[in-house]
Amino acid sequence: MHSDALIALLPFLMMTATAVAAMLAIAIRRNFALVNGLVGGGIVLSLLSLAPASHRAPVQVTELLRMDDYALFFIALLLLAGLAVLGLCHDYFKEREGQNEELPILLGTALLGGSVLAASSHFASLFLGLETLSISLFTLIGYPVEQRRSLEAAVKYLILSGTSSAFMLMGIAFLYAESGELSFGGLGRFIASEPAMNAVMVSGVVLIVAGLGFKLSLAPFHLWTPDVYEGAPAPVTAFIATVSKGAVFALLLRLFVETGGYGFAPLRPVLSLIAVLSILAGNLLALLQTNVKRLLAYSSIAHMGYLLVAFIAGAAIAKPLVAESVTFYLAAYFITTLGAFGVVSMLSSAQLEAADMALFRGLFWRRPYLAGTFTLMLLSLAGIPLTAGFIGKFYVFTSGADGGFWGLLTAIIVGSGLGIFYYLRIILAMAMEVEKIEPESEEKFVGLQSAVTLVVLSLLLVWFGVFPGDLIPYIHALAGSFGK
Amino acid sequence: MELLGWIPFFPLLGFLALVFFGRSLSKPMVALIGVGSVGISALLAFLVGFELLRGSMAPYRLALGSWITTGDLTIPFGFYLDSLSMTMLFVVTGVGLLIHLYAAEFMEADAGYARFFAYMNLFVAAMLTLVLADNLLLLYLGWEGVGLGSYLLIGFWYVNPDNGYAARKAFVMTRVGDMALALSLFLLFTELHSLDIQTVMERAQSEWKVGAVLPVTAAALLLGGAAGKSAQLPLQTWLPDAMAGPTPVSALIHAATMVTAGVYLIARTHVLFMLAPSAQTAVAVVGGVTLLIAGFSGLVQTDIKRILAYSTISQIGYMFLALGVGAWSAAIFHLLTHAFFKALLFLAAGAVIFCFHHEHDIFKMGGLRKAMPLAFWSFLIGSAALAALPFTSGYYSKHEILLAAFETSPILWGMGCLGALITGIYSFRLLFVVFFGHQTREVEAAIGNRMRIPLVLLSVLALFGGLLQIPLDTVFPASIETTLPSPSPWVSIVTLMMPILGLLIAALFYLTGTLSSTAFTNEPIKRLLLSGWGFDALYRTLFIHPFVALTRWNKKDVLDSPYLRTAWLSRKLHDLTRAAQTGRIRWYAASMAWGAVVVIAIGLLS
Repeated sequence: MHSDALIALLPFLMMTATAVAAMLAIAIRRNFALVNGLVGGGIVLSLLSLAPASHRAPVQVTELLRMDDYALFFIALLLLAGLAVLGLCHDYFKEREGQNEELPILLGTALLGGSVLAASSHFASLFLGLETLSISLFTLIGYPVEQRRSLEAAVKYLILSGTSSAFMLMGIAFLYAESGELSFGGLGRFIASEPAMNAVMVSGVVLIVAGLGFKLSLAPFHLWTPDVYEGAPAPVTAFIATVSKGAVFALLLRLFVETGGYGFAPLRPVLSLIAVLSILAGNLLALLQTNVKRLLAYSSIAHMGYLLVAFIAGAAIAKPLVAESVTFYLAAYFITTLGAFGVVSMLSSAQLEAADMALFRGLFWRRPYLAGTFTLMLLSLAGIPLTAGFIGKFYVFTSGADGGFWGLLTAIIVGSGLGIFYYLRIILAMAMEVEKIEPESEEKFVGLQSAVTLVVLSLLLVWFGVFPGDLIPYIHALAGSFGK
Repeated sequence: MELLGWIPFFPLLGFLALVFFGRSLSKPMVALIGVGSVGISALLAFLVGFELLRGSMAPYRLALGSWITTGDLTIPFGFYLDSLSMTMLFVVTGVGLLIHLYAAEFMEADAGYARFFAYMNLFVAAMLTLVLADNLLLLYLGWEGVGLGSYLLIGFWYVNPDNGYAARKAFVMTRVGDMALALSLFLLFTELHSLDIQTVMERAQSEWKVGAVLPVTAAALLLGGAAGKSAQLPLQTWLPDAMAGPTPVSALIHAATMVTAGVYLIARTHVLFMLAPSAQTAVAVVGGVTLLIAGFSGLVQTDIKRILAYSTISQIGYMFLALGVGAWSAAIFHLLTHAFFKALLFLAAGAVIFCFHHEHDIFKMGGLRKAMPLAFWSFLIGSAALAALPFTSGYYSKHEILLAAFETSPILWGMGCLGALITGIYSFRLLFVVFFGHQTREVEAAIGNRMRIPLVLLSVLALFGGLLQIPLDTVFPASIETTLPSPSPWVSIVTLMMPILGLLIAALFYLTGTLSSTAFTNEPIKRLLLSGWGFDALYRTLFIHPFVALTRWNKKDVLDSPYLRTAWLSRKLHDLTRAAQTGRIRWYAASMAWGAVVVIAIGLLS
């Protein structure tokens, strides 16, 4: 293997080495803080190793991985999100019974899987990355094994994720049977040379979309989302909502651009239907929901729907603008979602997961900073100006309007209107005064790492909301080089 | 001269300090901030004013920075000082300072002491912005600011719902006028592409012909705004009710400063009115009619403050009359002297009320001449100036107005003279009833120095204020008085005799008792006058009742139903989608399979 390729692979190697080192450390001595620190250090090292890798980019490492600026940006995003989740996990799990030392390792392997997805340019690496991610997630979701809800969520995710993988494998098999290609580029060349598509090809592509749609919790493959979000420990929920979805979306965009999927006419109605259904179903389900974790789950369904609109617009507008929109939206979504689940995780005690909206009543009077942070995150999710969420939604709108997808934009408008109702409902509940304060909620769970994470996220949220110009040129340059 | 920019700043600072820290400050400290901030402004105003007077009287402009910049529209924060705004500046800061000092004692027992001075300082800051603004939008900011101050202070004793109602009434009625003013601003900006007052006037003069539609419309709308703020026909009904506020408020806002803002506005934009002769005539007619109907109402009131309120409406009517006949400097001159003697009258009335345990009915007072000599002498001087007895300040200004009115139209002069007669009657009726006759009740309190000093100083000003010479001719075109030959002596003599005649009539009725007022009282007419000519009832039937009926008819807002239906639909759809969330894994897996089948079918069929 060429040395450039090795250097480009350095982030992956770092993460793998971290997992091994952490396992060895556990073999010697079980210490949660130590393992946590080890994995954190490993993630930081991987982040640092992105710098030499980016000097070599773009590099095609075998047929499987393409390390270009796009992939490196997403790997950085995923790693940073992983770091934030690790911080939340540290405070969330340190007080809990049981052996929590393996948890950071699993986070590391899940991150590795996600990063591979972001860089993959071949169906084999796609499947490899996806399964590394998913298998780590099963364990993460069910980590508090003595809790019935977590276990149930883990089993649900395991079975349904397996089903979706089966769909996807079937789709890949169909495509391979027709084209004899497994690399994205090769498939693209085949599609370009065959103007007419037969039923097997169409079924294959749609099955892959269905499989990925499951991971993104797009309607009608979204039913698992609230159950798993609710059952998983709050930091893990944050991880599923951000890292897992971000990686899959990055992959989806690359898959489409490299295979010329946009030129594939039968997909457009399918994707449009999925987007509209997701936006409507997500927002409608969240409307009267009283469990905050489930509410955020439904909200994430809707957000993936919004994102898909920008993605669909790629059929009519320049690819760099799509990449720019999607990237900015995902970055904003990462910040916001991590922040929101961060608040939930900080509010949860060892006995009680803070999910019921009743626990949020009057939060402003008990824990004003936490309530303020949550308000900020909810406003960003609702797309209120001066938050990063607004800029993200603005990007989606611009893409959709440029492409003239007025029907989809109407769905976004309806969805946003519904969204404001339930986001404001939480804020309202937090602002309500309550006479009696339950004694158990008085023991304040404050963790330094979580607090720092939340402060950083809030600052980023407002910074990118007020001065989006600081992030846009970078994303713009990255998107400009994408797909060439 | 640069100190000009600081003049509105100190009251604003005082307002902020009192709003944020007022609760924790002691009363002397509150008074120090509240009165001191206006005091500093007054000092600065006199420094700046003397510098202007010493110089060539050339207008001075101070640019403080840009406020709004968007497209063609550039609105600076800028102040403009000429002899007109200087006169207003002196009135607002000078008279304002005396009233603040007075209020420091008058309001001392009130729990909302800090709140009171916060509002007062806010008002002064807004009023100063209004008179100093070099563009119409900044003027409008001040205009609305004083409206807010007026609203807050009329309703200062908000515990009584009547006061809240009076405050709302004042705010809504003046808003009607403000709407006209805003429309006028829009019109001027669309047509002349500027809001800078001097630029607008220059452009209007060069681009518009005399009597054309545009200047007439703009001037008429400005008149609407001025009528609202200055309580002129047909928007005058709020001022008598505004007396619900504390007496210093009535003296400052509803006599000396805010209500004269309309006069200032018309004087400031006099170029526009000269381009619109019909609008200017309308100003004169509004003034003439208002001064009469308010004067008649003043004749029969029994509440000491309401008499003064009607008298204020009537005197502002004189100012409008002066503006309408082109006697610009006479109008401003009357504004100045009126500020002195009407503030004096209100403060003296306040002293009476203060010592009489908040009694407002003049017929329950009486004989206070001996018990309250200072209030009596103040009232005597104030009434004399109000009635325009010779050699008081009011005499000089009103005489000038009436002579100028005669030059334009003897009818207007006749209205003014009749008004002067009535003014003489009601002002001395008030004086005689309150201070002569038998003393019915004991005086309960005495007034201290903080109330005495303003009374004495204002008495001096009310007596000799007429000798002040303000070089207003640098702002206004040469007045008619100087360009036309003097009218025949009998006009002067009649004008002069009217107030004296009024005084005599009042004396016959209320001092000597030679004539009995009850013989003349025709009940329906008295009731009509007492209610201020029934304008309130008229507006109630014309506007309030139909509007209330409309809202009652539309109690379940028609426009609400689409939104309610949307909400209902959303709820239903929520229930529908929620039914799918069973939590059962086989259903989830099955739905995934069905979903895949559907999307494949769509993919294949399209």
